[in-house]
Amino acid sequence: MHKLLMVIRREYLERVRKKSFWLGTLLFPLLMVGLIFIQILLADVETGNQRKIALIDTTGRLEQRFREKLAEEKLKDGRPAFVVESHPAGEGADVAARRLLPRVVSGDLFGIITVGKDLDAEKNFRLYAKSVGNLDVQRTLQGALRQAVLGVRLEQSNMKLEQKELAALLAPIELESFQVAAAGEAKRKGFREAYFGTFTFVFILYMSLLLYGIAVMRGILEEKSNRIMEVLLGSLSPDQLMTGKILGIGLVGLTQMAIYTATVGIVRLYIAASPLAGDWSGTLDAVSPARMVYFLVFFILGYFLYTSLFAAVGAVCNSEQEAQNLQTPLVMCLVIPMVATFFFVANPDSTAAVVVSMIPLFAPMVMFMRISVLTPPFWQIALSILLLAGTIWLFFKAVGRIFRIGVLMYGKRPTVPEILRWARG
Amino acid sequence: MDAAVSVREAVKTFGHHRAVDGVSLDVPRGIIFGLIGPNGAGKTTTIRMILDIIRPDAGEVRVLGMPAGESARDRIGYLPEERGLYRKMKVLEMVEYQGTLKGARPAEARREAAAWLDRLGLGEWKDRKVEDLSKGMQQKVQFIGALMRKPELLILDEPFSGLDPVNQNLFKDVMLEQNREGATIIFSTHQMDTAERLCREIALIDRGRIVLGGSLASVKSRFGKNSVLVEYDGDGLSLQELPGVARVDDYGHYREIRLRNGADPQALLRALVDKVTIRRFEIVEPTLHNIFIEQVGERPADA
Repeated sequence: MHKLLMVIRREYLERVRKKSFWLGTLLFPLLMVGLIFIQILLADVETGNQRKIALIDTTGRLEQRFREKLAEEKLKDGRPAFVVESHPAGEGADVAARRLLPRVVSGDLFGIITVGKDLDAEKNFRLYAKSVGNLDVQRTLQGALRQAVLGVRLEQSNMKLEQKELAALLAPIELESFQVAAAGEAKRKGFREAYFGTFTFVFILYMSLLLYGIAVMRGILEEKSNRIMEVLLGSLSPDQLMTGKILGIGLVGLTQMAIYTATVGIVRLYIAASPLAGDWSGTLDAVSPARMVYFLVFFILGYFLYTSLFAAVGAVCNSEQEAQNLQTPLVMCLVIPMVATFFFVANPDSTAAVVVSMIPLFAPMVMFMRISVLTPPFWQIALSILLLAGTIWLFFKAVGRIFRIGVLMYGKRPTVPEILRWARG
Repeated sequence: MDAAVSVREAVKTFGHHRAVDGVSLDVPRGIIFGLIGPNGAGKTTTIRMILDIIRPDAGEVRVLGMPAGESARDRIGYLPEERGLYRKMKVLEMVEYQGTLKGARPAEARREAAAWLDRLGLGEWKDRKVEDLSKGMQQKVQFIGALMRKPELLILDEPFSGLDPVNQNLFKDVMLEQNREGATIIFSTHQMDTAERLCREIALIDRGRIVLGGSLASVKSRFGKNSVLVEYDGDGLSLQELPGVARVDDYGHYREIRLRNGADPQALLRALVDKVTIRRFEIVEPTLHNIFIEQVGERPADA
């Protein structure tokens, strides 16, 4: 026990004393806060500029309504958000548009909208712009066009309506979603909020599992290539060394998580007490204490699961280059659930999600995703954690065997079947 | 009292290679014991079994009166052949760590480490990183690591390799001092003259077996007093063809001739007198060096 503590102490102090640890630990939250801040800032800048739109309407019937509808969009200072200039179609919308393209390139025009002859034809409306990724602007323009077209169609069917009446007729309804928790309370939560809130945490989970796993692997590779392994094994058993290393580095991870959690906690208290609380309810919800606890639970479980595997990779390889190949499947196991976050957040109760959240290699991330968007039945959470814990126990035993043989082997890397044979012992 | 180390019929196979093939070994307490043999003969594997770093497939290893294992290991200081330290660690912390792994509390390990570093002339380097040290200094650091907590058994694998004569002497003095204070020392070496000077007993391992063992005196007497050192003027002489000569080692300045069993040195002397001017003719015990070569043969040593 004394030796194990000494290994943990060394591993922990070595890392925590490094400047890079504190830099990373403090920079990361700063970076996150900074990103949010920049987004807010950018959004402000964006709304400060009027956008000039060129409309080339072959039918000549949309302009009026389009202008009226767009005029409803205002900037913060009250000026209209869009300025519409109309251009004759002349010898055809495409030709006219091509003539205007240089102005789009120079940034004078935000975009050109062309309208073909037949309003009911498919692919009749086009937007040419330098950036077509701005979904909000695109939606606004599309909405204005739709309303204009609808007006024309209604006119054709002899239902003459004023713009106001038309607007009333078309007024959208908003579907607010509420998440029902096990306790029976319902909370307002949209998909976007759920997705981004979950994704942020899943991403942190992914990054820390990967980084700490690789740290354990590197540590073992270093001990092998430094040939210090044999000195250590003259005093310690391989099990003590492996366990000490995993626990020591794990404590470093927990220290980091504790700092993050404390920061989040303080910010949370601060926001909750401020008048902003209402606006930020989504954010407050994202960092609720229950979620933080689950986050820690799945971080710890995932950490033990993955570091034991990374430790095995370190034990059987002689260099990081050699380790590349073997660690790829592990990295994939971490990447897949992260990439699939969208699916799991959208379908947290699907059979696929339930099954995947039971598979130990994916459980830490997927179960956490499910927990954060809905409240799965308690037995599912318990089963998932139990399966994880059991797998960790098995892995530790198997990896201990691999470690015992692998750490003193130099030269050719053993093949995967050989490694599996060692694991069975 | 039990032997410091007692190995019985130990066998260890790696894949198809039998690294240790029925080794039996007894090291009495309080002596300096030399483990010699060509590269790849099984010395390191034997040492690892004594430390319980690897377990024998068959046979028994007892250390300091108990089966090889963790509690025995705490009483052994070990300097492996492959030198290794944490390069980014501070020198003092590195040695301290090795002390704590032998069971010391950090504070006492630190005191002991500092005392040793001062004594071996590394006092000013305590707070430097290991990687800033020269190779020789790193070897000292590692040697100190093995000495921490005053082990009852010191196992040193090639302790002198790569050291300059001054440091070789320093290491030797520390070894002798530890031995005087009661530590049993097992060391392996390729330097036969060093082994000859330091060891009370030796074991020669070749291809996983002990081919020769016992006290240095008994080993030598087993080979008889049938070696001759000659120095002479004149050349063109083929010593190998003279009567009774088994083998000749040319050292440049003089030659060592090993006679066949029962051959008469006087006959050799008579034959030599006729051909060259003799300056030295001395009948001696064979050197350990020659015994080694004779036992292991002239085959490439890295088999």
